[in-house]
Amino acid sequence: MTVKFFATYREITKCAQMNIAPPKDVLALLIELCEKFPAFYEKLLTQDRQALGPDAIVLVNGRHIVHLNGVATTLSEQNVVAVFPLVAGG
Amino acid sequence: MGGWIGKLLRVNLATGEIKKEPLNMKAANDYVGARGLGTKYFCDEVDPNVDPLGPDNKLIFMTGPLTATAASCSGRYEVVAKAPLTGTIGAANSGGHFGPELKYAGYDGIIFENQSEKPVYLFIHNDIVELRDAEELWGKTVYETTDMLNETCGASFRVACIGPTGERGCLYSGVMNDKHRAAGRGGLGAVMGSKKLKAVVVRGTGSVTVVRPEPFMDAMADARAKLKAHPVSGAGLAALGTEVLVNVINESGALPLRNWRDGAVFDKADDTSGERLADTYLVKNKGCFGCSIACGRVTRVPDGPFASFGEGPEYEAGWSFGADCGVNDLAAICKANFLCNEYGMDPITLGATIACAMELFEMGAIPEEDIGFPLRFGDAHAVVNLTEAVGKGEGFGEILALGSYRLAEKYGHPELSMSVKKQEMPAYDGRAIQGMALEYATSNRGGCHVRGYLTSPEILGVPLKTDPLETEGKPALLKLFQDLTALVDSLGLCLFTTFGIGLPELSAQYREAIGSDETDEEILLKGERCWNLEKRFNIAAGVEKDTLPPRLLREKLPSGPAKGKVAELYEMLEEYYTLRGWDKEGVPTADKLEQLSI
Repeated sequence: MTVKFFATYREITKCAQMNIAPPKDVLALLIELCEKFPAFYEKLLTQDRQALGPDAIVLVNGRHIVHLNGVATTLSEQNVVAVFPLVAGG
Repeated sequence: MGGWIGKLLRVNLATGEIKKEPLNMKAANDYVGARGLGTKYFCDEVDPNVDPLGPDNKLIFMTGPLTATAASCSGRYEVVAKAPLTGTIGAANSGGHFGPELKYAGYDGIIFENQSEKPVYLFIHNDIVELRDAEELWGKTVYETTDMLNETCGASFRVACIGPTGERGCLYSGVMNDKHRAAGRGGLGAVMGSKKLKAVVVRGTGSVTVVRPEPFMDAMADARAKLKAHPVSGAGLAALGTEVLVNVINESGALPLRNWRDGAVFDKADDTSGERLADTYLVKNKGCFGCSIACGRVTRVPDGPFASFGEGPEYEAGWSFGADCGVNDLAAICKANFLCNEYGMDPITLGATIACAMELFEMGAIPEEDIGFPLRFGDAHAVVNLTEAVGKGEGFGEILALGSYRLAEKYGHPELSMSVKKQEMPAYDGRAIQGMALEYATSNRGGCHVRGYLTSPEILGVPLKTDPLETEGKPALLKLFQDLTALVDSLGLCLFTTFGIGLPELSAQYREAIGSDETDEEILLKGERCWNLEKRFNIAAGVEKDTLPPRLLREKLPSGPAKGKVAELYEMLEEYYTLRGWDKEGVPTADKLEQLSI
């Protein structure tokens, strides 16, 4: 499964994307990413580590997880997950 | 008279007469300032059927009540005229330092009337206001003009001017200030050019006061703290600029590709992103007057065929010269963007017009001899060369200077102009972001993203997350965003403040500045009043109905998260009109106009 990182999160990962074995759901993925890159703890997860942090955006195949099943959205090998900090422009 | 100087300049360019007149405070109170007030003056004084490039069109520069105050991001001023590209009301605002300097010189705005026989510029140094000969400046670029005027008048003077494209009547030439900032859309530079007005040069040593200083400073500090604390306005925009949107919009399947022909997912988008810009050509970030965000990019392409230096590109220019033309060469995009600033052109319309020409050429509708070379998607050199050709008025550039609608019409395919009311839509596909489809169709100045900016809730989740593939609830959300945007523009603040603050913070600063006790809702109503006045003007001017290019309505997106989607405009339009208090044709009713005291 491909996980892509964008914007200032690349300063944490030092890479634009990585391939990993798919965790069971988005929450498991976020925890795995935090364990691999501890600077993510305060960004990707809420304090209780049960939900997506308010300043992070996670897309699964281009859909924001809010419109899927939240952090319980299940993952598979074919998924592409995109992880962003809150960004905007225009 | 808090927030205001209380004085306007009225300049008759045919007679040379310059009058100083009191600001219409009733109108200022009803329409806030800048966009709203400029439009009010314009609608009161100009026939909607006026020729945009004729002597009877007026050109208005107008500041807002918060322009030049201590409020964050208070460097904006608005340029208002009937727009030659669209035939709609034209209102475009710009940052930098020009607007505040005008107020410091002692004027809330300037109304230019009629046309000069010879090129002139307006010199303003506090009480000294003169029309001066601009023969030597005519034909010069924005950069050259600014440098020459700073040499003649003094380095501390601020300059708003047009480039050669404005002189020649390019339908998307802008009014440029501080070299790199633009009141860019709709062709207001061509209106200025038709008046033979090359520039306005201003230096002021006065100040702007507010009615309730201590509460104002508290309200300002509260807004500033929230802007600093928000991840977008406090960190993200400074680090990566607006180009940071490229990847998130592309990943959401909403980055229009090759004149919107090939869907909205670009496999080379990252090459043109804010992240890539920061890794390559970014020299530093930069802010406008009073800015606490500093999203501006100072950039340099150090070598190679596109070696150049300037500011930008913004997200929309990065898209128009990039994905829309199938180009992933960031150096070429930077160069084309710099050329737009230098020659005074709107990069959104220009890039989208080149993209339209590419599609027309590839389908055989434009013969190669008309262009001079085969024009295919992905050709970065062609993008830069054609940008220069429009800037210099050479060859095929003269046709491209008319915008994509007139280009596509000339070659028999007006449906391939990705425009609304003849102005090109920017970098968000309305098939993947349904709210943007409604926004484009109903924008009072034609295809535009800053007449509501529903991308913010639809994609980014600011201030709340909505589903971009659904239509439910979008008409009400759009009406709110349109009215709020009209208010922000009218205050003289940057729209980007709304990533961190909302109506309560905006209203608080306004109230304390002008000494008002109006509620938030009463203040928001002034934004709605502006929107309805603009709409009424457009209807009187005979502007076409609210719709979208057939491609968005009929051609399904071929891939990405919005695969199979078209723009469901007609699921939303009637409800939108009802919420606006308009009839089924989108005409404001007499009751609505009376309610708004229009």
